[in-house]
Amino acid sequence: MNAHPYAMSFLLATAHIHGPHISWAELSPIAVLGVGALVVLLVGLASSQMVRARLVPTLTLVAIAGAIGTEIWRFSHAPQTIVAGALRIDDLALIADLVCAVAAVAAVLLAWRARAPREAGQGEFHSLMLFSLMGMAVLVSAQDLITLFLGLELLSIPLYVLCAAEYRREGSLEAGLKYLIIGSVGSATLVYGLALIYGATGQTGFGAVAHVLASQSGGGLLGDPLLLTGIALVIVGFAFKASVAPFHQWTPDVYEGAPTAITAFMATATKAAAIAVFLRFFDFTLTAEHVNWAPALAALASVTIIVGNVGALGQSSLKRLLGYSGVAQAGYMLTGLVVGTRLGVSATMFYVVAYLLMNLGAFAVIVHQERVSGSDRMAALSGLGRRSPLLAWSLTIAMLALAGIPGTIGFIGKVQLIHSLVNGGYGWLAIVLVVGAMISLGYYLRVVAAIWMTPADARGVAVAGAGPLAGAPVAAFPPIAGGSPEADLQASAGGGALGVERLTGDPELLLVAGVFGALCIVFGVIPGPVFEFVAHAGAALVGLR
Amino acid sequence: MSPTTWGWLVLLFPLLGTITIGLGFRTYSRAAGVIGTAAIFLAFVCSVGALIALLGRTGTHREVVSSLWNYDVSAGVDAKLQILIDPISVFMMLVVSGVSTLIHLYSTAYMRSDKGYSRYFAYLNFFVLSMLVLVTGGNFIMLIIGWAFVGAASYLLISFWYRRSTATRAGIKAFVINVLGDVGLVLGTFFIYRHTHTVSFLGSFAAAPHVFHTDSPDLVAGCLLFLVGAFAKSAQVPLHTWLPDAMEGPTPVSSLIHAATMVTAGVYLIVRLHPLFQLAPTAAEVGAIVGCMTLLIAGTIALVVTDIKRVIAYSTMSQIGYMIMGASSGAYAGALFHLMTHAFFKALLFMGAGSIIGAMAGEQSLDRMSGFRKALPFTFICFLAGGLALSGVPPFAGWFSKDDILAFMDHRGGIYEVLGILGYVGAFLTGAYTFRLIFRAFYGEPSPEARELEHGHLAHAEVHRNPANGEEEDTDVGFPGPEHVIAEREPAMKVAMGILAILALVGGFVQVAGVDAVISKFLATAFVHTPLASPADQPSVGFDWIGLVVGAIVGLLGIGVAYRVYIAKPGTSAALQARFAALHNFLVHKWYFDELIDVVVVRPALTLGRFAQAVLERVFISGALTGGVTGIVRSGSAAVRRAQTGLLRLYAGAVVLGLTAVVLYFLISAK
Amino acid sequence: MALDWYLAVSALIFCIGAGGVLVRRNPLVVLLCLELMLNAANLALITFARMHGGEAGQIFALIVMVVAACEVTVGLGLLVAISRRNLPIDVDKLHELNG
Repeated sequence: MNAHPYAMSFLLATAHIHGPHISWAELSPIAVLGVGALVVLLVGLASSQMVRARLVPTLTLVAIAGAIGTEIWRFSHAPQTIVAGALRIDDLALIADLVCAVAAVAAVLLAWRARAPREAGQGEFHSLMLFSLMGMAVLVSAQDLITLFLGLELLSIPLYVLCAAEYRREGSLEAGLKYLIIGSVGSATLVYGLALIYGATGQTGFGAVAHVLASQSGGGLLGDPLLLTGIALVIVGFAFKASVAPFHQWTPDVYEGAPTAITAFMATATKAAAIAVFLRFFDFTLTAEHVNWAPALAALASVTIIVGNVGALGQSSLKRLLGYSGVAQAGYMLTGLVVGTRLGVSATMFYVVAYLLMNLGAFAVIVHQERVSGSDRMAALSGLGRRSPLLAWSLTIAMLALAGIPGTIGFIGKVQLIHSLVNGGYGWLAIVLVVGAMISLGYYLRVVAAIWMTPADARGVAVAGAGPLAGAPVAAFPPIAGGSPEADLQASAGGGALGVERLTGDPELLLVAGVFGALCIVFGVIPGPVFEFVAHAGAALVGLR
Repeated sequence: MSPTTWGWLVLLFPLLGTITIGLGFRTYSRAAGVIGTAAIFLAFVCSVGALIALLGRTGTHREVVSSLWNYDVSAGVDAKLQILIDPISVFMMLVVSGVSTLIHLYSTAYMRSDKGYSRYFAYLNFFVLSMLVLVTGGNFIMLIIGWAFVGAASYLLISFWYRRSTATRAGIKAFVINVLGDVGLVLGTFFIYRHTHTVSFLGSFAAAPHVFHTDSPDLVAGCLLFLVGAFAKSAQVPLHTWLPDAMEGPTPVSSLIHAATMVTAGVYLIVRLHPLFQLAPTAAEVGAIVGCMTLLIAGTIALVVTDIKRVIAYSTMSQIGYMIMGASSGAYAGALFHLMTHAFFKALLFMGAGSIIGAMAGEQSLDRMSGFRKALPFTFICFLAGGLALSGVPPFAGWFSKDDILAFMDHRGGIYEVLGILGYVGAFLTGAYTFRLIFRAFYGEPSPEARELEHGHLAHAEVHRNPANGEEEDTDVGFPGPEHVIAEREPAMKVAMGILAILALVGGFVQVAGVDAVISKFLATAFVHTPLASPADQPSVGFDWIGLVVGAIVGLLGIGVAYRVYIAKPGTSAALQARFAALHNFLVHKWYFDELIDVVVVRPALTLGRFAQAVLERVFISGALTGGVTGIVRSGSAAVRRAQTGLLRLYAGAVVLGLTAVVLYFLISAK
Repeated sequence: MALDWYLAVSALIFCIGAGGVLVRRNPLVVLLCLELMLNAANLALITFARMHGGEAGQIFALIVMVVAACEVTVGLGLLVAISRRNLPIDVDKLHELNG
């Protein structure tokens, strides 16, 4: 009746349950994030405003840095299947993890003095971000249908909340609710598809499913309607997360409504995780069914490329523009998946890395724009080149890279994809990709023009400020000589109102914009390191050509 | 360190300099000059490192290739980010980075009062980077990239004073003609690549003897197209008209780009591709003939031009004519030797001219300068050293290098002998126009500016004018700065000019016939496989010395004529002009090349362009093609955006439709 | 009893849920319909677990329930926030973000 306290603890110390063996070294990237999320949540309860505003983001960065460290530590080890076959830590998973973690670092920096964490609570905001990151880590390492679903939801549910983090702003709430409902439809579709695949094969482990499919090739299961319906539903479920048309419509709305730091995180990390799981599920688990799913995915990819690029054309909001551009870029990435070759996997992961680098710089500039001018309208960019050359260059480079101009990482990424497509017998898809890239110039270059073109009134100031030549006709300054930095400087100095604007941005924004802008160029000229990095991903998926 | 590591470092420093100055041009004022000069100096140090590393090797080990990244992912082009370090590229690296360092140093003083000081150094560093990419590139792709980049840098720097309409017009002219050359280079590369299936230099050279026979049509076509590129970049007839106009840029730019380095890229190209030209003697003959024509035509024009910078510009064309002629005839070491000495003395002459222009407060006309000998003693000595070297007077550098080329050609015989003898006519012209310049600017009755300067007052213009057309100007951004500088008062300029003056004097001693042959020996490994490298093809020492003596006499004759016309009997010049009015007119109009090109090329092109714009562009392209395509894209865009209603339930509807479609596809078409 | 009938019922429930999401304007009801869709999947999972005789399907179903609860919680939280801002509880009125 009155159990002695010591006896109780003795009982706990000696009791053993037969759980699965857990290899902590392999699990460490995920564990670090989980522990970090809990610590951050606790510290967020501190009463001191100072602690909350400074310590919490710092701890978040520490946790992500820890995850990055463990990921690098485990990188290029032999793949390990851990926790009773639930997770598989291989290079594909680690690359995707690293991409997501880098995106998270950037997102934390972008949110450093943003409104969202103040409104939602520092602890909650950052802890949710860490949980979402952990969900991504689980998702990309998932080796079992159940883990896959769990990871996907662990990724998504915190994001629903984060989208609505600025809960005093109507747009943010709307974005959160829209994302929740559409995302849940996607999840339900996915889980139904997973159920059907389980029903058809009787297995939940990826390896076991692949084995069952491979062993019955030439008949039996391959044409099984249950299995095929299941695959179709899974495609739709993944397509949601990766914003593939026609399941993309939430993307522009949610990107526009969500706090920009979260948009940056969603745009890069979620997409990377979704593409990685797409790769693992289709190019490993369902690789025996390649003949059936490849044409469908190819069709989806081409629709996505066209819809995304065409939709972005008339946008005036930068976040919306990047939303549509993200749709189109998801289409590009999907093409590498379609061919189902090692080359394709490498090309896709290369593009995932490129996409990360190209977008984060751009989002940093958008955050800056929102703080300075209160909106992300493209028109507000005018004169950015004069006010803040570093940010202007970062955005310019990001746009050129997204458009695939040679000398940037986006060009190399597209060339890799085209190469893998041509190699894999999908030449027509390569043509669609190129046509999409051509259309995309129509809006990326519009952004570049908005950054560097001097508004007409400022030019008038420059002429008027030119001393004895004030009355000279404008033709005296041939426009062909082009950008005139000093004249612009003069215009801003002489123009009064123009000159008093903030000349630079917040240091963390400059850091993010500068680093990622520079990387786009550096890896565009010397892509060797990235290429070697992602080559591991292709090797991680056994059984590919 | 290996030579290639040094090679990459040589490229790295100017790159860093360009980025640092370019991004922060607003933050530093004076520091830009220091950063720019230091970056180029470090590149020079690394070039010396590459030289030392290369000297430690022998034979074919002196040709080292290094690739940072292979872009070969599709289509089978072996496009690599690749450099080739061999004696030729190391030689060019040394010349380019060395002279560039001195000119950067000179510029820190010369450009001081300009409002675009930082921008200037960003451009200049970018130019050096491009030039180094050009000379170190290990394949045609890198060559083309460097080739196009130097064209862009040249455009930026010619139009540096972008509010001067003359400067912007000159920039456009230079750019257009250079792009013509770029097209030649790219097409030529294609002709070679078609047969060798590689773009790397060493691979092409190895494959060429197997896929081409002597004078294969495609090889000759390719080499002629390369020559188009070389002529455009090196200002050879008939693609030379941009170079005199390029003098609109700041004087140090004329010195660096339009005298010492960029314009010699054509010579480098022919030397670099010598295994191809050896297989295509027809193309090589064309190169030699055009080089010879240029050196004569430019020499005659230089006799009558009155703008001090343009005189030197025509002299540059003429000297490059020697190099092109020499490189095309097989005197590779001689051509590169002359390239080096020419870089020294021509850079020096431009620097001296900059000092005189400073003393004249921006005025460039020879008609208004005279008697600066006492006012600008240092400049005078340097200018004299440069002039003697240019005229080929012993023992200055130009004497050895020019006659090295001519002796080789006379020894080779045939058509080359004729061209070589014409080269001595050019040497006579050189002596005459060079000393016309010196006698007019430094001798005679001192001009008012010179007289003032003798009393210590530097002339200062009340109203700043464009020297080309006399338009009134501001000294604000986009125009030259308000103050002028002379070498006598600027240590930085003095150092740069002093070093070059010494080099102009002693630079030739490295290769004296019968005594030493540093350059030929160093470069020998690069030309070891060429048919013309055997000792029998080299002129004997005695033959060399006969050539040297003849060259010296001819040069002195030219100087003597100039002395008679401008010093001994002043007024002869006017009398000659009156007597040979038609000839003078012909020369003043530069043989009517601009007018000829206008009639033959520009006007027909304009007419065709207007026709195409009116008919093809408006009706067919804009109306049918572009209009149709943009119409489709535009309506597609509208449709997508109309579908994006913001209404959640319609989104869900789209999802259900899409889902049904995918499921149906799987159930119907599955195998 | 043939398994087909269980699957038919499950598919029917899924369709009813999807239809509900399409036609209902009250977000609360939409959340309920989402629950229906997830529970359709649960029914299918349990059926298959029964068919194949392993515990995997059962565990899967349990996890789906947990996740469904989480989703609804977040959804309800959002609805509270929306109603506190006195915004209409109607999915058709939320179309500030469009184009």
